[in-house]
Amino acid sequence: MDKPVNQRAWFLVLPVFLLVAFSAILPLMTVVNYAFNDTFGSNAFFWVGLEWFEEVLTSERVHEALLRQLLFSAIILAIEIPLGIAVALTLPKRGIGASVCLVILALPLLIPWNVVGTIWQVFARVDIGLLGAFLSQIGVDFNIGQDSIDAWVVLIVMDVWHWTSLVTLLAYAGLQAIPEAYYQAGRIDQASRWAVFRYIELPKMKGVLLIAILLRFMDSFVIYTEPFVVTGGGPGSATTFLSIDLVKMAIGQFDLGPAAAFSIMYFFVILLICWVFYTVMTNLDRQDLPE
Amino acid sequence: MGFGLVALAMLAILAALIAAVPQDEDGFEWTGQLIEGGWMAWTFPVALFFWTIACLLLVFTFLAIRFPETPRRGLLGIETTRGDRLFIALLGSAFINLAWLGLAGMSQWGALIVCLIFAAAVFRWV
Repeated sequence: MDKPVNQRAWFLVLPVFLLVAFSAILPLMTVVNYAFNDTFGSNAFFWVGLEWFEEVLTSERVHEALLRQLLFSAIILAIEIPLGIAVALTLPKRGIGASVCLVILALPLLIPWNVVGTIWQVFARVDIGLLGAFLSQIGVDFNIGQDSIDAWVVLIVMDVWHWTSLVTLLAYAGLQAIPEAYYQAGRIDQASRWAVFRYIELPKMKGVLLIAILLRFMDSFVIYTEPFVVTGGGPGSATTFLSIDLVKMAIGQFDLGPAAAFSIMYFFVILLICWVFYTVMTNLDRQDLPE
Repeated sequence: MGFGLVALAMLAILAALIAAVPQDEDGFEWTGQLIEGGWMAWTFPVALFFWTIACLLLVFTFLAIRFPETPRRGLLGIETTRGDRLFIALLGSAFINLAWLGLAGMSQWGALIVCLIFAAAVFRWV
């Protein structure tokens, strides 16, 4: 990289920028305005300064939602990443079997969020759902509307069902890219199965796994539709994650000020994750290039 | 030439914003509503914030055209251009402000000083 970079081509982005201005930047400005103002209705606003930010930063309710959110993301990552790798390792490497497996794995990824939510909501119902009815038949006290542990279990199993395939597909792509020569070298050295995984497969999968972790963290951090459909944030507020809490605050209670301050902070966190994601991706690309 | 026009346009926008600030007997009411009864609740400080961001972007656009640069690898071990460093400085400043508001319990202007030091460090070492 010795040449100076010419950035003039960015001007070609101008039309898109104008579109985004109307669909994203202006609404964002409205949110920022609401975060600094209060109203008694009929569009009569008055300035309150940083009051809403202080309220949200010190709000127990927001802290709890954040904790639940982080716990949820941590649990699904801890399950989906190892499980996804394990499934990818057992998939056939070539032939018709590989294609069939990939198609079946891709199916859950194609189902829209609200449909996934509805499937699991019905599935977990005690009266008509297969899972709920079966569990209550064998004597397990199971009710996602009343027991918060049950609700959490259903949400986590649902997310694992929905998204482990993504990790699997990414890990599988990483595995397929490893040249056969590495395995031959391993065989010559009489490497154990674990050693092959630890010193050949895992290092070669580092890039795709990093992408998988960031994608899954991001998606689970902003999850809304599925818990909303399955539990509605309940029982009580046991499954009220950040975005559900935000929507409750903004549209349920119509507390525009705190909700705006909340969404700005949420936006900063997401912007940070996006930046990390972008930096990791661009740096991975550079590493792949020959020096 | 083109840059001068853009600078004039930004100054005109700033003048229009100031002209829209409501006034009473005591002079300017800086935190009053720019559009009374409007649904967007525009106030001058927020408008000034976005105006500053827009100016920063324009200045950095100007710099990128006038003084092209090579990305460099700094403290974080990643390649950054001036624009990247601006982004890091701005996003970091947002978090510094929130932390200051939540922890320091002092005037918010203190956070601005920390942010300026942080931005200078980012531009120097990242």
